[in-house]
Amino acid sequence: MKLSVHQKAFAMVLSLGLVAGCSSTGETMGEDEYGSDVSAVDQDGGSTVYGGSDGSGVSASDLTEEELRAREERAEQEAMRNITTFYFDFDTAEIKAEAREVLVAHARFLENNPNQRVRLEGHADERGTKEYNLALGERRANAVERFLIVNGASRAQMETVSYGEEKPAVMGSSESAWAQNRRVELVFE
Amino acid sequence: MTGQERDVTNIGQQPWKSPVALSLLLHGLIVVVALAGWSWTTPESEPEPRSIAARLVTQQEPEPSPVVEEVDEPDRDEERKKEQQEQKRRQEAERKAAEEEKAREEARRIQQEKERKRQEEAAARERAEQKAREEEAARQKAEAEAKERARQKAEEEKRRQEEAKRRAEEERRKAEEERRKREEAERQKREEQARREAEQKRKEAERRLKEQQLEALAEEASREREAEARRQQEAAAAKAREARMMSESEKYQALIRERLSQAWYPPSSATEEMTARLQITLLPTGELQSVKLINGSGNTAFDNSAISAVKSLNRYPIPDDRDTFERYFRQFTIEFNPRRLK
Amino acid sequence: MTHRTNNTYTFMALTLVCSLLVWALGTGPASAELTIRITEGADSAIPVAVVPFAENGGIPAGDKINSIVQDDLAMSGEFRTLSPEKMLSLPSKRSEVYYRDWRLLGQRYVLVGQLSRNGDRVEARYELLDVNREERILGESAAVSVGNMRTLAHHISDKVYEAITGVPGAFSTKLAYVTLDTAKGEPRYRLQVSDVDGKRARVRLESKEPILSPAWSPDGKKLAYVSFETGKPAIYIHELGSGNRTKVADFRGLNSAPAWSRDGRSLLLTLSKDGNAEIYRMDIQSRNLKRLTNHWSIDTEGVWDHSGEGIFFTSDRSGGPQIYHKSSETAEPRRITFGSRYNARPRPDSQGDYVYYVHQRNGGFHIARTDLSNGEETVLTRTASDESPSLAPNGRMLIYATKHSGTSVLTVISADGGAAYSLPATEGDVREPAWSPVIR
Repeated sequence: MKLSVHQKAFAMVLSLGLVAGCSSTGETMGEDEYGSDVSAVDQDGGSTVYGGSDGSGVSASDLTEEELRAREERAEQEAMRNITTFYFDFDTAEIKAEAREVLVAHARFLENNPNQRVRLEGHADERGTKEYNLALGERRANAVERFLIVNGASRAQMETVSYGEEKPAVMGSSESAWAQNRRVELVFE
Repeated sequence: MTGQERDVTNIGQQPWKSPVALSLLLHGLIVVVALAGWSWTTPESEPEPRSIAARLVTQQEPEPSPVVEEVDEPDRDEERKKEQQEQKRRQEAERKAAEEEKAREEARRIQQEKERKRQEEAAARERAEQKAREEEAARQKAEAEAKERARQKAEEEKRRQEEAKRRAEEERRKAEEERRKREEAERQKREEQARREAEQKRKEAERRLKEQQLEALAEEASREREAEARRQQEAAAAKAREARMMSESEKYQALIRERLSQAWYPPSSATEEMTARLQITLLPTGELQSVKLINGSGNTAFDNSAISAVKSLNRYPIPDDRDTFERYFRQFTIEFNPRRLK
Repeated sequence: MTHRTNNTYTFMALTLVCSLLVWALGTGPASAELTIRITEGADSAIPVAVVPFAENGGIPAGDKINSIVQDDLAMSGEFRTLSPEKMLSLPSKRSEVYYRDWRLLGQRYVLVGQLSRNGDRVEARYELLDVNREERILGESAAVSVGNMRTLAHHISDKVYEAITGVPGAFSTKLAYVTLDTAKGEPRYRLQVSDVDGKRARVRLESKEPILSPAWSPDGKKLAYVSFETGKPAIYIHELGSGNRTKVADFRGLNSAPAWSRDGRSLLLTLSKDGNAEIYRMDIQSRNLKRLTNHWSIDTEGVWDHSGEGIFFTSDRSGGPQIYHKSSETAEPRRITFGSRYNARPRPDSQGDYVYYVHQRNGGFHIARTDLSNGEETVLTRTASDESPSLAPNGRMLIYATKHSGTSVLTVISADGGAAYSLPATEGDVREPAWSPVIR
C-alpha cells in the first residue's frame, strides 16, 4: 500500500508535468514529435488527455455502476458524432480543446465498429504556398488520426489525405472564410 | 609640531636602500625627533626654528675672558686709590728734601762764584797776550789767503769761461741734434701718415669694392626676391584662376553628370564590374563634335548604351569662360560604371 | 645557351624600358584630362518605338506583329513603347527613318520592318535602329508559316530585347499554369500551356480534382505535376508532344512538389510515406528514391540550385516555414531567410545570385528575393496574396499568381521588382504558373 501511494503520487506528479508540458509548450511541435518517433509517449500523453477531456474527473468505475447514465452518455456521443469537421489555427495542427470530446466519441464509435472505415481529409486556408499547405493539411489529418488511435480507433480503419488549400469549404479571402477552411473533415464510408 | 614635520620630511628624502637600516634609522630618528620635538615644543616664545638652531650652534663655544674682567673691576679701582694716597705722601717728602738740597746748593754756588772771578782775572791777562800773537798770525795768514783767493778766482774765471764755451758748444750740438731728430721724426711721421693714408686708401678701396660686391649681391638677391615674389604672385594668381576654373569646371561637371545620368539606360545585362570609357570632344557651343570608345566593357549592349547616352545630349552644359572650356571641356573622358543597379 | 640567355635579358630589359615609356606617355596626358564618372542611370524604362510593319499583301488579319512585340517589350518592364498615333512618320526601312524626328520624340530605338507573303509562309524583314548613334544594331529577315505569326512576333521581340539589353529574350518560351473553373457547379481544373503573353493557350489535362505544381523538364518537352484525379495526390510526367502520361509517384500520404534536375533524369519530390513530409530524389528511369531530408518538421518544395549540386527547400523546423539551402545532398541545411515568420517555395535563379520566394509581411503574402551574396532581402511585389513565383529562363522576368478582385490572375514583373504586367484574364482562376525553359 505504502509503495502504491508513493507510486500514485509519483505518477500524478509525472502526469501533471506531462499535462503542463503539453499545454504550455507549442503543441504543434509536440504532436509531431509524438507522432513520428515515440508512440509509447504518445499513448501516455493521450491517456492523460482523455482523463482531462472526460470532464467529470471521476474514475472509469462509474461506467459500470450505472447503466442508465451510460446509455445517456451513448446518446450524447451519438449526437456528438454528427460533428465531423474540426478546425485549426493558422499554420498549426493543434487539436482544439472543444474538439477533443467529439473526437473521443468518434474514436469510441470506431473502436466499437471495427469494420467502419473513415477518411480524414486535411485542409488549409488559401494563405501561403500550395505545397506547404498540402503538407500542413496532412499534418492536421495526421494529428486527428493519432488522436483517434490513442482513443481506441485502429490505424487500419483510417485513411488520410491532404488537399491543402485546393478545396476550400468557403470561398473568399476573409478571416472567417480562412478559419472555416483550416480544417480536418472525417468522411465515413 | 612644525619642526617634527619638517624633520620627517627630510628623513623621507634620504635615499636609503636597506629597509632594516631605514627602519632602524627611522625609529631612531623618530625617537630623536620626538625628543627634540618635545624639547622644542616648550619655548613658545622662541622665534623661528631656523634661528634657534643657529643660536644653539654658535653658542657652543664660550668666551671666558670678558667674563673675568667684568667680575674683577671694582677691586682694581680701590687699589688705585690707595696707591694715589701713598704717592702723595712720597711726593711731599721728596719736596722737603729738595728744598733742603736747594739751600745747600746756594751756598756752594756763592763759593764757586768767588773762585770763578779770580780765575777770570788770570785768564784775561793770558788772553791779551794771546790776542796780540794771534793778530799777527792772522794778518800774515790773511795776506796769503788773499793771494790764494785771487789766483783761485782767476782760475775759476778761466774755468767758468771754458765751461760756458763748452756748454754753448754742447747746447748748439744738442740743438742741432734736436733739430735733426725733429726733422727725422717729422719725416717719419709724414711717411707714416702717407703710409697710413695709402693703407686707408687701399682699405677704403677694398671696402668699397667689397661693398660694391655686396651691393651687387644684395641687389641680385633683392632682384631675385622680387622675381620670386612676382613668380609667387603670378602662381597665386594662376592658382586662383585655376581654382576659379576648377570650381567652375566642377559645377559643369556636375551638370554634365546629371544630364548623362538621366540620359543613360544601362541595359539589364549591366553589372557593377562593367566600365565603359569614352573620350568626347565638344565644340565651343557645347555640341558634341566626336565621341570615341577608349575602353569598352566587353558588353556591346553596355557600351552602346553609354555611347547612346553621350550622343543623346543636344548641347552639353559648358562654362562661358573660354579658358575653362578649353582646359576642361574641349576634350574629356566619361566613364560609365553602374554602382547602384536597380 | 648563354648567348641566348643574354639575348633574352636584353630583350626583357628593352621590353621593360619600352613599356615604361609607353606607360609614361600613355598616362601623362590622360591623367591630366578631366574624367566624369556616371554611376547611375535613368530610373525609367527605355523608350522604344515599334513602328507598324508594312504589309505587302496576303498577310492574315489578326493581332499585328508590332503590337505583339510592343506588349512583349512592355511586359519585361524594361521598355516603354510609343503608340503609333504619336509617331511623326511610319517608316518601314532604315532609309526612311529621320533620326531627328525620333530624337525629338525622346525615343532611343526604332524598330521598323515589313512583311511579305511567300506561299504559305510569311517573311519579316526588320531593322532595329539606335536613334542617338544613328546606327542599325539589328537587321534580319525571318519567316514562319502563315499560322504562326505570333511565333514570328515573339522571335522579333527576343532579338530586339537581346540587341538592346545584351540578355537573350524569353518571349518565345511558354507558360504552364492551372485554371479552375467553377462556373458550371462542378469544379474543372485545367492544366494549360500558353505563350508568355497568355495567348495560344492549350489545355493539356482536365480534371475535377485538383492539379498542382506543374514543373517543366529542362528540355521544355515534358511537365511533371501533382494530380488528385484518383482522389489522392500522385505525381505524373506528361509528354507534351504526345500527350503520354506516366504516374511516377503514388505513395501513401503526400506526393507533391516535383522539380526536375538539370539533366532531366531525376525529380525532387515531397513524400510523407515515412511519417511526415520529407524531400526525396527519384531517379526517373529506375524510380529509385533517396531521402534528402530527415526532420520531424515539414520539409517540402525542394528545388535544385544553380550548380545542380545543392537544393533549396522549405522547412518549418524553426517554428514557421523558412527557406533552407543544402549545398549538397548530404550537407547540413543552412537557413537563408530571416526577414519574417513565413518564407516558402524557393526559386533560385540560374546564376546563383538570388533566390525568390513567397514572403509574408504584415499579414500579406508577397514575392521577395534574397541576394545570396549578402543575405539582403528585397520585397518585389505590392499585391497581398502572391504565390507561385517562377523565373523566366533569362532570369529577367518573374511570373507569379495573385488575387485580383477575388480571382486569381497571373502577373509578370521584372526580376528586380520593376513594372508589373498582368496577363489577360481567362475564365476563372489562373494559378500555379511555371515559366518554361528555352524550348529547343
